[in-house]
Amino acid sequence: MLFEYLLRRISLLVFMVFTLTVFTFSLNYLFPGDLLTNFSGQVNSNYSQAQILAQKYHINDNLLMQYGAFLVRIVSGDWAVSLSSGQSVFEHVIRLFPATLELCVYALGVAVLLGIPAGIVASAYHRRGPDIVINSLTLMGFSIPIFWLALLLIMVFCLSFGLFPMSGRIGLLYEIDPISNFILIDIAIQGFPYHGLAFFDALRHLALPTVVLAMYPTTVLVRFTRDSMLHVLEQNYIKTARAKGLNRRQLILHHALRNALLPVIKQIGLQFSTLITLAMVTEVIFSWPGIGRWLIDSIYQRDYPAIQGGLLAVSMFVISANMLAEFSHSLFDPLSRNQAYGKV
Amino acid sequence: MAKFNLFSEESNRSPLSRLWRKFKSNHPALVALWVFIALTLLAMTAPFIAPYGINQQHSDALLLPPSWHELGDVRFILGTDDLGRDVLSRLMNGATFTFGLSIIAALITTLVGVFLGTLAGISHGFRSSALNHLLDITLSIPSLLLAIIIIAILGPGLLNTVWAIIFALLPQYVHSIRNLVVDELNKDYISAFRLDGASQWQLLTRGVLPNIYEHIVVIFTMALSTAILDIAALGFLKLGAQPPTTEWGAILAENLGLIYLAPWTVGLPGVLLFIAVLSTNLVGDGLRQVLKERKAD
Repeated sequence: MLFEYLLRRISLLVFMVFTLTVFTFSLNYLFPGDLLTNFSGQVNSNYSQAQILAQKYHINDNLLMQYGAFLVRIVSGDWAVSLSSGQSVFEHVIRLFPATLELCVYALGVAVLLGIPAGIVASAYHRRGPDIVINSLTLMGFSIPIFWLALLLIMVFCLSFGLFPMSGRIGLLYEIDPISNFILIDIAIQGFPYHGLAFFDALRHLALPTVVLAMYPTTVLVRFTRDSMLHVLEQNYIKTARAKGLNRRQLILHHALRNALLPVIKQIGLQFSTLITLAMVTEVIFSWPGIGRWLIDSIYQRDYPAIQGGLLAVSMFVISANMLAEFSHSLFDPLSRNQAYGKV
Repeated sequence: MAKFNLFSEESNRSPLSRLWRKFKSNHPALVALWVFIALTLLAMTAPFIAPYGINQQHSDALLLPPSWHELGDVRFILGTDDLGRDVLSRLMNGATFTFGLSIIAALITTLVGVFLGTLAGISHGFRSSALNHLLDITLSIPSLLLAIIIIAILGPGLLNTVWAIIFALLPQYVHSIRNLVVDELNKDYISAFRLDGASQWQLLTRGVLPNIYEHIVVIFTMALSTAILDIAALGFLKLGAQPPTTEWGAILAENLGLIYLAPWTVGLPGVLLFIAVLSTNLVGDGLRQVLKERKAD
């Protein structure tokens, strides 16, 4: 049973990755500009260089050969060079993606820690004070444009009170060698240099972007948890438990919560696509050196190889995150495995 | 838990009027509906009722604060920006671009989404799989990234943003419509209808669509709030509307340098965006709540 399910999921994954690479490949043709430049990122190459490049990228062969060569290059990590910096796109991605990922993971952590308990409280006090307060706050957080929220927070906390730094990942005073490219891990690996001050400084830099980025997923999780809990609380087995004389705390913690949280687990994994969209805006505002800001800079500079590389990396990540979420969901929830087998 | 009504009251009103009666009792949603209608009207009539032209400059009144401020001038109710343009007029015209275009984008998405969703709902096997998984790919590309790619191909501009947003909204829409259609098709009354000899077309137009169109409106409001936020975000990133277009996000980005000198030029577009999205969400939430309640009784 599980094996068949896995097989279906994996074949779906392969299909999706295949389509994604075809799409990325076709962008070379769709983007304006010279085809060879879009492929290689080399500008102003002379005749003999162009010949060598055309040979390498199989420009003169048919599309199938070109796509094959493209795939080989993707797998071997030869992702062309950026038009604006002249450096390898792959290295850019390796350096910048962890910064974005770090921000997203912390934001998601905050969202889970705040959102799920808030949702449970709201459902426990359905249509009473706490529920109304949480619901209104959620709706407001859901509606606030994230870039405006970021500006407001900067205005209040950075400009008026000077509590938090406005931009970047860490103060210029501290020099941290990039090892894993996750700043907190890097500082920890290097044994908390500068008497832990660097770590503290990095945390202060993280605070505002994390809060801004966490706003949306938190509201989504609150609403989702609340709806899921309310649904479960109406089930007959809850009524049975109530009739047996269980008090509310036992009812919610032991009976309702387990079943209500199952769909929430899946929802957490599905947040990554939205999170990365929001992270792009957040990174621009807070000058966070992540892949989102790099991509937006690339579009200002018409850096087509960079856009392609970024697209490939980000989408691959989102696809695998979604797959992981669905897989863990079906691992926890035998019911979903039984009915679906990975069918739509 | 009120599943057993002791005093059963026969309600012979039409579903729509029952919906409206329940909706009316939800006051926040009702207020939001009025705001929503007002914004729609504003989006349609803004160029005619705005006191000044959007690019009309008043060199005698640069960076005036709003009129309730000591230094304000009653001619410019919400003040002026650094080029002496009336903020109120610009914001009113912004409704046309941010709110009006979002509605159009959401409407187009609805048309295409309902078509594709129904198609996916009634098809089986490979065709259904293909439709769904092709859309899954677009779902896995973050919407802003998709917009960036479309803009990279077509070039920046407001209209290209609209295409990008439609494209980014579509997959979720098709999924939701498909689920609705499949749920409805599995119900008994549809089976009875089918046994009566109804064709596929009759099943859809007489059976399924009249029963899901209210849910489609709910999905529409969700798409609309996303569209507003996305248009504004792209305008803010200077990828969508280009100045001097008065799109709210673009106004915000244009005045970002004035945040110290004239905070109202940055704050007010954000407030309007917030109100627009909040009213849309409130209407959608209220509607969903009412639909649930109507189903319960």
